[in-house]
Amino acid sequence: MKEVAVIGAGMTLFRRHLKETGKELSFMATKMAMEDAGIQKDDIDMVVMGSAPDAFDGIHMKGENLIDGSAATGKPYVRVFNGGGTGVFAPIAGWWHVASGVADVCLVVAEEKMGNVYPHPQTAFRHIWDPVLDRPLNPNLVWLFAMEMNRYMTVHNIKKEDIALVAVKNKRNAVGHPCAQLADPNITVDDVLNSEIMAWPVQRLDVSPPSDGAAALIFCNKDIVHKFTDDPIYVAGTGWSIDSTMWTNRDLYFPRYVAQAAKMAYKKAGIINPPKEIDFAEPYDPFDYKELHHMEGLLLCKKGEAPILTREGVTQRDGDMPICPSGGLLGVGNPIAATMGQKVCELYWQLAGKAGKRQIPGDPRVGVGQAWGDIMQMATVMVLRRG
Amino acid sequence: MEKEKKSWPPYAPGTHVKESDIREKKLTYTWWEPEVQYSWSLGHAMSKFIQGLKTGKIYGIHCKRCKRVIVPPRMFCEYCFGPTDEWVELKDTGVIETFSISYLDPDARRIEEPILVGVVSIDGASPKHGFMHYFGEMTKDEIKIGMKVKAVWKPENEREGSITDIKYFKPLKGGDD
Amino acid sequence: MGFLEKQTDPTTPMHWRGDMQADYFYPSGIAGDKFFRHIMENDTFLATKCSKCNKVLFPPRLYCEDCFEEIQEMDWIEVPSTGTVKLYTVVTINAHGKKLEKPRVIAFIDIDKTNGALLGVIRTNDFNKDFLGTKVKAIFKQKGNREGTLKDILYWE
Repeated sequence: MKEVAVIGAGMTLFRRHLKETGKELSFMATKMAMEDAGIQKDDIDMVVMGSAPDAFDGIHMKGENLIDGSAATGKPYVRVFNGGGTGVFAPIAGWWHVASGVADVCLVVAEEKMGNVYPHPQTAFRHIWDPVLDRPLNPNLVWLFAMEMNRYMTVHNIKKEDIALVAVKNKRNAVGHPCAQLADPNITVDDVLNSEIMAWPVQRLDVSPPSDGAAALIFCNKDIVHKFTDDPIYVAGTGWSIDSTMWTNRDLYFPRYVAQAAKMAYKKAGIINPPKEIDFAEPYDPFDYKELHHMEGLLLCKKGEAPILTREGVTQRDGDMPICPSGGLLGVGNPIAATMGQKVCELYWQLAGKAGKRQIPGDPRVGVGQAWGDIMQMATVMVLRRG
Repeated sequence: MEKEKKSWPPYAPGTHVKESDIREKKLTYTWWEPEVQYSWSLGHAMSKFIQGLKTGKIYGIHCKRCKRVIVPPRMFCEYCFGPTDEWVELKDTGVIETFSISYLDPDARRIEEPILVGVVSIDGASPKHGFMHYFGEMTKDEIKIGMKVKAVWKPENEREGSITDIKYFKPLKGGDD
Repeated sequence: MGFLEKQTDPTTPMHWRGDMQADYFYPSGIAGDKFFRHIMENDTFLATKCSKCNKVLFPPRLYCEDCFEEIQEMDWIEVPSTGTVKLYTVVTINAHGKKLEKPRVIAFIDIDKTNGALLGVIRTNDFNKDFLGTKVKAIFKQKGNREGTLKDILYWE
């Protein structure tokens, strides 16, 4: 297997509605990544597209529709998709293209236009439910997260105030991000606790917004990375795992599939003691409690310990274990697959010292990004290491 | 070759469009209402489960290798990947595993009276095995994880073979079995 | 038992009916918006020329997908709304398999002065005619009624 490095990344604005078509967004993100890496379309060998349900953009087989904007015309191309996990799975697919030796340079593009479906992206989410067991009950996807959040809070006796701290941290962290949809330098725990109750215990400011957006990432083979940089950032480990669809038969308080994916990635990366050896992390945070849930799933702390660390400030950008320095999904936005921009592109920008106002102080060398998808099922993990 | 360490992303390409811009047609767009119909085949297990609900019964299925009674039933066990064995008629009582108090309808519109919904594990099946359903005859302050509940069925002539043949689960009071 | 049970009644495996409830809003995009705004006011089309490979791209777009270069403002050009029929077919049934009252001629029309084409409906009463190579021009809705979508082109003849 070859060693793989990241040489460029790009991202578009994230907003509830963007005027651009999916192809135009893919083009803008790809162009920025190509500028970062200093390459042209002909330097790219293969392209991987990550994009979540066709039902959002409303274009059947949208993977094929997006190729023009993804520099993929005339190239080997594949679209991968596993719901919310796509944000890190698309880079994993890009990684294996280069690690296997079939490509020297692989471009990964992730795009989503959730604003195309009316009246609200939740309408498309109605189709994720089992048609026989769940749909006749007219469920809303927020119920699912509310039930998981309730279980997590009850098992570990966590108060909402501690969970709200995550939303406050991430929305404040997002202030340094030019693409951010919901950055807010002044948000407080009270703002979160006083926001509208959607499905208790989930309140409006606990949730990340649906967004339009795109992101791109470029991988290359270690043998040629010297052409692009003296200080390469390598993919140290990858892992992915999925649990059963029968979510009503599982105890939701701990995401065991995240732990499985994390163990797979840490093994490859040679990480034995994650809390000590990992400098910062970007766990998937579509809801504030999910950041805590996933921190524990990523084995960065013990079960039930994540809210305590958050309360103590350990997960702030200047803390011992910065979590979601980009501002995460809560601050920057949630265009499902394009969250690659916060979960992997951000790891690269932080490790390369290019994160500007979001830069973590000190000398971060190892970061882990994670995404989560489907009905509490899919976990995808990637570890990046400098040098 | 040291690349210039400017801040990335250096700018955020993209044009924000507000809901009011769309309503006021400040941009051109195409509107489409698809007409897609589906007919999903239920398969053996779900067919029997649904027919059971019509007769007022909840069926589970036994996997003898994993020694578990599974509900909702399925034709193969997803853990040992072998065919499941005999049908088991379960009770219509259970325990609330988790719940939510929802102020949203399925299209994310706000509703005044909250819906109580959650996962109920069914008595007679293995622990933590159950399905999602509504809870009723309890207030949002009374609902708790661990509460014992019982199914409230539609009258026989109104049942059509659907998960909604059970209207909701209500609190199980002592002696009410 | 269970999986290995013999099915003796063909009506026992049941079906569950449902539909997909969602409506869609497709913004035309940066390039598309420019194109549609133009045909709302004019009876001509816009196309984009790639300064690297010189292809005239139609429908116009923000970038050339082969060269991956962004199209500059000055590379937008006006072209006539006329073309030549390259391919066509006569459609007699609708999407659900029902017979149409009147057949429709759907054509793939190479647009003049561009390297691109458009699909369109040809207005005719002669369904046995061979349309290959026929020169056609777009007939638009009345200027005040145009909405900025492809339906602003009523048909071709």
